[in-house]
Amino acid sequence: MKCFLRSLTLLVGLFFYASSHAADALPTLTTPDDVGPVIEQPIEFPHFRHAGDAKDGGMQINCMYCHTYARRSMVAGIPPIQKCIGCHQSIESVRDKPRIQKLFEYWDAKKAIPWKKVHDLPDFVRFNHERHIQRFYFQQDRPYQEVCGYCHGNVKAMTVAQRQKPITMGWCASCHQKDHLVSANSSKTGHGPNDCFTCHK
Amino acid sequence: MTENDFNRRDFLKVLGWGGAAVALSGCGNTSIQDGQETVTSYVTLPSFVVPSISNYFNSTCAQCDAGCNIMGRVREGRVLKAEGNPNSPINRGRMCGLGQSGVQAHYNPDRVREPLLRTGDKGETITWDKALGLINEKLNGTKGAEIAFITGGMSGHVQALLGNYMDALGSKNHFSYEAISPAVLRAANKKAYGMSMPRYRIDKAKVVVSFGADFLGAWVSPVHFSQQYAQFRKGTRPEGRGVLVQIEPKMTLTGANADRWIAVRPGTEGVLALGLINALGKAGMSIPADVAAVSNEYTAERTSKETDVSAEQIEKLAALLKERTPSLVLAGSAAEGYAHGSQNAAAIALLNRVLGNVGKTVEASASVPFPQIAPTVGNRSSLIALNDGLAAGKYKVVFSYGVNPVFSAPASMKFKDNFAKADFKVAFAHYMDETALAADLILPLDSAMEDWATVVPEYMAAPEEAGSNTYAQMSFRQPMMEKVFPDTRGVGDILLALLKQRKADEYKPFDDFYSYLRSAVLKNKVALGGKAGDDDEVFWNETLSKGIVPLKGIAGSVSAKASAAGLKLPVAADADPSYPLRLIPAVSASIRDGRNANEPWLQESPDPLTTIVWDSWVEINPKTAAKLGIVEGDIVEIASRSGSIKTQAYLFPGIHPDAVSVPVGYGHEAMGRYARGVGANVFGMLDAVYDKETGELALNETSVKISKTGQRVIIVKEEGPVGGSQAGKPKIAVQVSADKVDLSKEV
Repeated sequence: MKCFLRSLTLLVGLFFYASSHAADALPTLTTPDDVGPVIEQPIEFPHFRHAGDAKDGGMQINCMYCHTYARRSMVAGIPPIQKCIGCHQSIESVRDKPRIQKLFEYWDAKKAIPWKKVHDLPDFVRFNHERHIQRFYFQQDRPYQEVCGYCHGNVKAMTVAQRQKPITMGWCASCHQKDHLVSANSSKTGHGPNDCFTCHK
Repeated sequence: MTENDFNRRDFLKVLGWGGAAVALSGCGNTSIQDGQETVTSYVTLPSFVVPSISNYFNSTCAQCDAGCNIMGRVREGRVLKAEGNPNSPINRGRMCGLGQSGVQAHYNPDRVREPLLRTGDKGETITWDKALGLINEKLNGTKGAEIAFITGGMSGHVQALLGNYMDALGSKNHFSYEAISPAVLRAANKKAYGMSMPRYRIDKAKVVVSFGADFLGAWVSPVHFSQQYAQFRKGTRPEGRGVLVQIEPKMTLTGANADRWIAVRPGTEGVLALGLINALGKAGMSIPADVAAVSNEYTAERTSKETDVSAEQIEKLAALLKERTPSLVLAGSAAEGYAHGSQNAAAIALLNRVLGNVGKTVEASASVPFPQIAPTVGNRSSLIALNDGLAAGKYKVVFSYGVNPVFSAPASMKFKDNFAKADFKVAFAHYMDETALAADLILPLDSAMEDWATVVPEYMAAPEEAGSNTYAQMSFRQPMMEKVFPDTRGVGDILLALLKQRKADEYKPFDDFYSYLRSAVLKNKVALGGKAGDDDEVFWNETLSKGIVPLKGIAGSVSAKASAAGLKLPVAADADPSYPLRLIPAVSASIRDGRNANEPWLQESPDPLTTIVWDSWVEINPKTAAKLGIVEGDIVEIASRSGSIKTQAYLFPGIHPDAVSVPVGYGHEAMGRYARGVGANVFGMLDAVYDKETGELALNETSVKISKTGQRVIIVKEEGPVGGSQAGKPKIAVQVSADKVDLSKEV
């Protein structure tokens, strides 16, 4: 019996030691709760200028205007430079700003911009943007800034993106356990898949 | 229990549970890597490209000469996998393992990356300008007759360019070489049916009798025949489920699939064919007089004695063939690799005539209407011609493309020494293989997934609905991605650059092979299925996206004129007691002639019959092995009059006791990290015996002796003990010996 108790204490102790590091508080939407490091990018891209609210001087561009693959593909995609140039070639007013000059340097040299990954999941995790955008943006008809913000935080207030959420399995699962409306016109709810194979293939 | 009883077992239990707890909570702890990797976006991107979603591009497989139409799955600018093109009449959406390995030829780390020039024993990297300039320099002042080209089988616009280049040089010395080629078959077919590659309709036959044609493994167009075979085996077919009889001394993949596998004494396939004709006559079938005159001699007793096949078997087989028509009789390399190989093939072709199969299961095929792009097929006799020329010092500059004769020529030809006699040898090389190593200038080639080409297959399959004998096709090979190594070039581009040295004006409009190909295709828009008014760009893109261009071919016709005149089969001589066994070089479905040996998937995919990986082996009948005291894993020396190899012994009941078999294609001394030093090269030890009619190397004419070296290894193979796992099961079904099975009941 003593032996059993001893084992149990050891087991429980080990468990608490290990799980004390796990994120256990449920995240609130779009608020930062595990801010990642500031990452230096080749061009300090001002998200707030492009996606920010009009009252803050932003242009309120839909996230998916540039990250256009998010609704069709696993990855949201960094836009090709072609896309930046598409607008900026006719925006003379900012043409001589250093960041824009740098952009045109890359374009003229036909060189890709080596952006740093801000949200880099381990290789054994397959996160699918399309499923989440389809579910929350198209089926539930939630505002895009909120939908993207579940994982990416309030990007419209940032210059270069910075991680706002833990993006760990526990954190993913915490949201998958919640009941979400099936669609905007239905009161039925369901929660996210819980199979290992959904993300680990 | 006392405190001290907290023993090892409890500790391990706790550790196990604790470990699980750590693992579980660890999932919440895995931090993502911020800002370490780059995500490089595109500069420009066509609208059809979506990252993480694949695009498919139609192309043509280059792993063997069957020319299957494939689709490459391309994601984020990388080709990841090949699939079969479902619209292809050749492979109908299917692919083989050899084809799948094409991506490993493409990404192979041992590819040649820059032009290399030999100076003495050393090689140095040079620029393309210098390399092409050097060729120009060497060719100036060299007569056309002193320039030779050795290539594999070729077709399409690359062949047309090569032809133009040779014309510009005034050279007529194009040697088309294939190490393993159906050259004897082509000649025999031409004689018997009037065309060298008729269409075989396994799917229409009720019985297929194959004399060593491994059509499911490595014969002519295996993926196509596998598709036909699947139809052939369907019980729901109007003709009912087909019966396959395979006659060969060494069991092939096709033999393993057959209803009846008959081990014939090596070389007596023709005798058996005539014996069958005789038996058919006895069974009441009418035999044309000229055939009967020859076949009458082959009574059941005589045939049985010569071929080692029992008279009862022959009789049953004849009964089967008589009962079920149409049938199809095929002759393969196992029957043709002899000094009398053509005679064997002719005797076998007679069977098709007697059984009335010509026109039913042996159909006419069509040829492409453009002779410049029609396939030039290779054979071994051309290598002999080149070798003789080299030995006599006739050739000063030799170009080699797509072949590796230094590896695959028998040592007795002394090809390597003769090759060295040429002053300047240029190798268009994918790998630093044995031939490239012997060359003076090595030009690195694009892989088949980076290059442009058109391909016309030798064996012209047709879609069912085409129904006529005028279907011919040209297939496109197009790049699926940017070059892996930036300094390689396509063979078409190299030839074009060389042509510009000779005929600058004529070829000035073409910047590269792509523009040459495009303009050549657009010029013949109407013949290639377009309309005169079609927009060029639209037509070109549509053609490329399909990958297959159906052509109105020149119709051929088959005739049942196979003649028995002049047919003479030698009486098998008694074996030379010092070399008592017959060596059968086997062609495996994956390694083939060895050109793809540096693709590790092929090395590690188990041989279908022995399940051996990453090595050569010699198959020995258990009876023969018992006599010689050999057990599995013994390293044995196999010696012929012309050479010897050492390899591991594998006891295999699927081989005639008088024969041993070693797969070809292994034993490279160069080529790359996956091929070099793996196995033994059996090509080197073959005796220089040739088929009397075609001059083709008689692959199976080498007699050998086997001796143990005293070493023994554990064979690396997939298979378990014979009969598989028997755990908890009663004995497996008792095997019935082959001659006790009543074949008529199987029908």
